[in-house]
Amino acid sequence: MKVTYIINGKKQEFDISPGEILLDLLRDNGYMEVKGDCYEGTCGACTVLINNVPYASCTTLAAGVDEAEITTVKGLGDINNPHPVQQAFAKFGAVQCGYCTPGEILSAYALLLKDPDPGEEDIKRALDGNLCRCSGYMQQIEAVKIAAKMMREAGDNGRV
Amino acid sequence: MDLKYVGKDIPRVDAYEKVTGTTKYMSDLSFDGMLWGKVLRSIHPHALIKSIDTSKAKALPGVEAVVTWEDVPGLNGFGIAIQDQPVLCKDKVRYAGDAVAAVAAVSKEIAEEAALLIEVEYEVLPVVDDPIRAIEPDSPKVHESGNILLHTEIRKGDIDKGFDEADLIIENTYYASRQEHAFLETEDGIALIEEDGTLTVYAGSHYPHRDQLQLSRCLNMPVEKIRVVSSPVGGAFGGKDELTIQPIMALLALKTGKPVKMVMPREESIISYWKRHPMIMIYRTGVKRDGTLVANDVKVYADTGAYASLGGPILNLALESSCGLYRIPHVHIDGYSVYTNNGISGAFRGFGVPQVTFAMESQMDIIAEKLGLDPIEFRRKNILKKGEVAPIGHHITTDVESEAVLDAMEGSRLWRERERYRGTDKNRPWIKRGVGLALSWQGMGLGVGLPDFGDAVIEMDPDGGFIVRVGCVEIGQGAMTVYAQVAAEALRFPIERIRVVIGDTRNAPDAGPTTASRAAYVGGKAIFLAAEEMNEKIKGYASGMLSVSPDEIEIDDGSAYVKTAKDKRVSYEEISSYAIERGGLPVAEGHFDLPTADKAIEGAFGLPHHIYSCCGQIAAVEVNTLTGQARVTDGAVVVDAGTVINQGGLEGQSEGGFVMGTGYALTEDLIIENGVVKTPNFSTYIIPTSKDMPSSIETIPVTNYESTGPFGAKGIGEIGMVPTAPAVTNAIYDAADIRVFKIPATGERIYELLKQKKGENK
Repeated sequence: MKVTYIINGKKQEFDISPGEILLDLLRDNGYMEVKGDCYEGTCGACTVLINNVPYASCTTLAAGVDEAEITTVKGLGDINNPHPVQQAFAKFGAVQCGYCTPGEILSAYALLLKDPDPGEEDIKRALDGNLCRCSGYMQQIEAVKIAAKMMREAGDNGRV
Repeated sequence: MDLKYVGKDIPRVDAYEKVTGTTKYMSDLSFDGMLWGKVLRSIHPHALIKSIDTSKAKALPGVEAVVTWEDVPGLNGFGIAIQDQPVLCKDKVRYAGDAVAAVAAVSKEIAEEAALLIEVEYEVLPVVDDPIRAIEPDSPKVHESGNILLHTEIRKGDIDKGFDEADLIIENTYYASRQEHAFLETEDGIALIEEDGTLTVYAGSHYPHRDQLQLSRCLNMPVEKIRVVSSPVGGAFGGKDELTIQPIMALLALKTGKPVKMVMPREESIISYWKRHPMIMIYRTGVKRDGTLVANDVKVYADTGAYASLGGPILNLALESSCGLYRIPHVHIDGYSVYTNNGISGAFRGFGVPQVTFAMESQMDIIAEKLGLDPIEFRRKNILKKGEVAPIGHHITTDVESEAVLDAMEGSRLWRERERYRGTDKNRPWIKRGVGLALSWQGMGLGVGLPDFGDAVIEMDPDGGFIVRVGCVEIGQGAMTVYAQVAAEALRFPIERIRVVIGDTRNAPDAGPTTASRAAYVGGKAIFLAAEEMNEKIKGYASGMLSVSPDEIEIDDGSAYVKTAKDKRVSYEEISSYAIERGGLPVAEGHFDLPTADKAIEGAFGLPHHIYSCCGQIAAVEVNTLTGQARVTDGAVVVDAGTVINQGGLEGQSEGGFVMGTGYALTEDLIIENGVVKTPNFSTYIIPTSKDMPSSIETIPVTNYESTGPFGAKGIGEIGMVPTAPAVTNAIYDAADIRVFKIPATGERIYELLKQKKGENK
């Protein structure tokens, strides 16, 4: 069957099998920034945004999100033009091995779209589905606070 | 010395790549014509293989190769210390997860289907799952040689005399769980045959050069024909120290001539690979009324699982630290590392020391309470200092900042304000709060009798910048950034124009394993030495260009100038052109041998170490007496770090270590019953999430200059998680008056202990 997505702003069509998992489809098509292999939705490394809501792509059927807008971390910004959430993570020590980072950044971005000035508990709740084994989560939480401030100051809510 | 890069707030050199999703991990690589590999693993923890029939799998369209033990061209065995683990099992399986056969096919789905078509006939054997029972002579044998991998016994003084002198003797048995590394990137990678017939293996690991050596043995291929690329790694914590998928991928690539990719799904990763050793620890500690420790009798049973890997060295490192960093005249230490059918245990951050630290620091807390002593004062009274004799009988000859660490713990905000964190919560009277602490020490580097060195190469590039090559890996700890900082400092050259190449046997020299808290220390020092040689070469070129003697040249910030006439200068771009004209760009090499102790401990291979790190931690907890659940609310980490090269990196290691330690203390238990893993995923094996994070973790470095390290630095990679569990369980005692002898202290266990206490009080 055929599905159409808008991935990072670009319309893409795929021929998929009915049982295909979104994570596999994305990685097989070169979206290597989407990580993860728990296939039960518990580690959060495979997080993508589907219509700006974070989902574990490892438990999402590709067929179920036909016509969706999908955002990966590359959709937020690149090295030359990183998004404030990406900048804050990079600058404030929120990255170690980096494998959880794309998913965490997307969860943080989705939170900030809804709530430009989240409290610490809100941030913890938003990142709860993204496991990180290197850090103690403190630097990520700080980074989200800093990103929120940068986005508020920029005034455009940081939406990409 | 005026430092420009070391100790400065330098952001990670790899951060922007990682936040924008452009970093290519080994699992992200793909090649044209790539096949997918799949392993068939034993479902039985212990069984004889009667036959393996691969014909149906081979006949499945899309299958390009099926391999068994018959296809292993060299030694069908690997293991860092002892090579007793088969690449593919021949006549026996020793754990549920042991690799029996493997398939390469054109798609992941076909590979999986084909693996299921391989028919293996087993004769099931009795399961060996209790390490104490396993060493009895009539136990079924995991290996023909018997179930004892290693027995180490160390005596100092006269243990009976010690207990005679004691006014108080405390005896307890402690249990530490099997911990999963839970790195986010599982064991993934690709193996392929290059056009010239050489083999390249891309797979994250701690030590590409040792992977290369082990592969060479298994494949019967010269080392020079194998290239291993093993960096960057999506987390490892010791779990990728031993070989994992590499030899099987390599066999499939050799058999098919095509690139073969393998990705471990989380469950297969957890079932099949390394864990922290569960340990049973029986402690008997004697102390005088005034708090002087006089005797310690320690018995340790470590469950190493089905194969040796590093089970022996892990036992010995545990024993070295088993009596804590204390002066104890009479010591008897008796340790066993035992084979069972309980999966496989291997290297994990702390390398055996978190287990014994849980036991010893619980003993210390119990004794302090019984004698009515302040826990810090009691430790200070017994603390080992440089020049004194350690519990295993050697002299401590280097700085281990034990007293300074205790002082800093005492001075930490959490300890000073501890009364605020204690007592019953006013609004929620079922919440009991408490504060606990623990101290730890651990040897750094590989120990006596083992080759422990690092090489680094620095090359000037044609634009006058530098390439720094060192064989350690970027495992998340920030090695690349530390190396760039050390190189920039030592070369007195802008950090932006230094490129660090690591983790690749072809492009970086052997610098030893990225383990044992040694990568920043050894790799950094080798870079420092290479930089000194490079600076001399640069001075040589500049002296030729400026017609003065090399002694008159000074270098700084990318140019070389005459000391007495600073306007007479040449840039490094000019030097590089000058060097190219004269035969080539300068290359410098640095070699560093890690200093080791001059005398070995008899009967304890690898012991003692020469340099030690020391860490003290304080934890504040809340215990919910209705549910039994404990939560760590605040923490303090004091670490003997030498010179801090990167404060952000230190905090990352210390906070990450502390939180990993709270998981070890409270929730993490990889349960194996009758040889079968019961918690093979993150829905059953629970690691801390952002919601479990404490409100604060204060990191306090004790910065004594380690004279042998790069700019005075020493390793801190492991020690940050070592004392956490006992700090937490001691805090639980302070909060709820219950003593935890078995970690993790899950809600169920605490609830049970609370219930018992209630019964006793009736």
